[in-house]
Amino acid sequence: MPREALFDISEPGESKAKAVCAGRAVGIDLGTTNSLVATVQAGQPVCLRDEHGAIVPSVVHYEADRVVVGRQAQAFDDDTISSAKRFMGRGPNDAEATRKLMPYRFAPGSDNVVRFAVAGRAVTPIEVSAEILRVLRARAEAELGGPLDGAVITVPAYFDDAQRQATRDAGRLAGLEVLRLLNEPTAAALAYGLDKQAEGTFAVFDLGGGTFDISILKLEGGVFEVKATGGDSALGGDDFDRAIAGELLRRMGKPDDAGGDRLLARRVIAESRAAKEALSNASEVPVTVGDWRGNLARSEMEALVGPVLDRCGPPVRRALKDAAAGDLSGVILVGGATRMPLVRRFVRGLFGKEPLADIDPDEVVALGAAIQADLLAGSGRGDVVLMDVVPLSLGLEMMGGVAEKLIHRNTTVPCGATQTFTTYADNQTGFDLHVVQGERELVADCRSLARFKMTGIPPMPAGMARLEVTFLVDADGILRVAAKEETTGKETAIEVRPSYGLTDDEVEKMLLDSFEHGETDVKARMLVEQRVEADRILQATRAALVADPALVPEADRPSIDAALRKVEETKRASDHHAIRLAIEGLDAATKEFATRRMNRALDQGIRGRSVGEVEAKVQR
Amino acid sequence: MVQAPDAKANHFQVIGVERRFEMDRGDLEKRYKDLTRVLHPDRWVRADAQARRFSLSRSVQLNDAWRTLRDPVRRAEYLLKLDGIDIAEDRAVPPALLMEVMEMREGLAEARGDRARVEAMAAAVRARRDQELGAVTAGFASGDVNAVSGALVKIRYFDRFLEEAEADHAA
Repeated sequence: MPREALFDISEPGESKAKAVCAGRAVGIDLGTTNSLVATVQAGQPVCLRDEHGAIVPSVVHYEADRVVVGRQAQAFDDDTISSAKRFMGRGPNDAEATRKLMPYRFAPGSDNVVRFAVAGRAVTPIEVSAEILRVLRARAEAELGGPLDGAVITVPAYFDDAQRQATRDAGRLAGLEVLRLLNEPTAAALAYGLDKQAEGTFAVFDLGGGTFDISILKLEGGVFEVKATGGDSALGGDDFDRAIAGELLRRMGKPDDAGGDRLLARRVIAESRAAKEALSNASEVPVTVGDWRGNLARSEMEALVGPVLDRCGPPVRRALKDAAAGDLSGVILVGGATRMPLVRRFVRGLFGKEPLADIDPDEVVALGAAIQADLLAGSGRGDVVLMDVVPLSLGLEMMGGVAEKLIHRNTTVPCGATQTFTTYADNQTGFDLHVVQGERELVADCRSLARFKMTGIPPMPAGMARLEVTFLVDADGILRVAAKEETTGKETAIEVRPSYGLTDDEVEKMLLDSFEHGETDVKARMLVEQRVEADRILQATRAALVADPALVPEADRPSIDAALRKVEETKRASDHHAIRLAIEGLDAATKEFATRRMNRALDQGIRGRSVGEVEAKVQR
Repeated sequence: MVQAPDAKANHFQVIGVERRFEMDRGDLEKRYKDLTRVLHPDRWVRADAQARRFSLSRSVQLNDAWRTLRDPVRRAEYLLKLDGIDIAEDRAVPPALLMEVMEMREGLAEARGDRARVEAMAAAVRARRDQELGAVTAGFASGDVNAVSGALVKIRYFDRFLEEAEADHAA
């Protein structure tokens, strides 16, 4: 298995030779309607197929004692969840959950998360997604002949923090090591860019089942830089189906919400989708719903769908403006809905350019994710770097319900911001922060992300304590928050209450529940995980020691050796806590060594001119 | 929270360019991208926890430096800040500028909805902004910090006006 990330960076010239040991890392497109898994084989990304092809419909059917996923699940009407992605990171009072023609039953529960009532139980969209991921994981493990090294899962670029967290949690529940969440348009560009050696500025127009994304990317010298992104996380081909279904119901003389008849709603939507797809190649098609028969012409369908499609216009114009992009080199089409002639005409009109569609728009995202997974696994394609951006501004609630933006939309990730707060009462020891995401001025118009409760501020007179709060958005686009009291330097404890989704404890509990045999199994699993982690760190450290012996601080050598031995020892015993501690010990012992390696990698990164030299010159 | 290994480095040191106002944008971008290729968390995903944390915090630092230095106005403000001058706090706004800005905004309020008129006003303000950016460059060249901060204050007001004009345009 490739563990030479450190080698790749120190010795770029050698990395090609090591690329031969391909890992079992996969890319997963977890879509609203369809999901796919892909991997890189012999340098080429390929989707993994079964006898029905690459696509696993994102449909899950629940029974008392089993779960059916994909094509087979589509045969069922009741206790069947499709489009779970629309509900990721959403609450039961959100628009997605209250819209017309939703063939689901919701179960009561907290306001943080949607719960579907299926086969006598309640499941969250996170658990539904995890079922789909489990099936993809099983397909990949069967194909690649062993447990996976890790997975890259794609998300719409426009997904907010809660939606990303939910996706990550689904991966965790499915037993996947999620290496990275990758934005779908970036994945698509990666698939086009690497295979075709493209350079220039590209727009990715992604109209999937449930989401619309527009991204402007600059490709240059292996750096994929997202200049701007926008979209609508509740607009997609499903909305076309719903618009058509509304018309069919009207013609049938039924109310446009099917009068609460869930079976009828499901049938009419399925027929609408079939008609829409058939009309890509025909000018008129017959439609049958139960006893009702009729015809639908392409022009009629386009008149119904047109107003929905027009909603793509404003986000595109805003993204083009934010990117300040000059001429576009190309427009890439992603998502099944871009097969429709109407959509292609619309895109041509919007950009004044014939869109690119040489890679299957259903597969392109999974293929790109596989390339990224391969890159992360240390394939030696080391000269490619993806630079993504924050899709929506992050801010804090201030007095009077105003949102103060700390991190602006389209800031390159990872990024951070620091803000200092002061206490307003004598001996105040706690502080509440409300983090929101969105572009509007008022908190009420933004999306609530989480409330952070900070405690443990030393008692001081009002206004004396200075609380420094650091926000950090990591490469997955997920927010982390840390706080410190400045005058004492004391880190304060933070309790996070996510506004949507599950808490860490809830995910943990679901994980435990999914192991059927109680605590011994959980312990066994933890032990296996810690042993794997121990092996990984041992290998990484030893490789680094062999590669850069000159960078090891002489004084640290005995403690590094001792820490390595400790990890070896604890790995052979069966206490996972002890292994964890030994790993942390090795981590601490190699701190200075790691700094030196990072600095050397940097020196080489800027091609022969070291940062140290430049600094010396500037300071003189 | 893990501190970046060199948390005290200024943005110029982080990207490895000389601390000055005039700057070759292409050279700056090349350095930034070269460093990104090395520091980005994607490159360290398989490394030990220590290296992963360093890569994250140094990438944050690098992106922050790039965001500040690539834009001439932010770069100028940052240079002043390094010298202990904060234009938001230290600089009194000249009454003449306030008058001018007030008149501009009244004009914008009247023109609201008339796209051509708003665009003409915005173009005039952009020209004034370019002029002041020239004054910033000249001020740095001659070492006249007062001229620089005076021009930056004006640019702030112009930018706020342009934002409003754009918001009107979008509405």
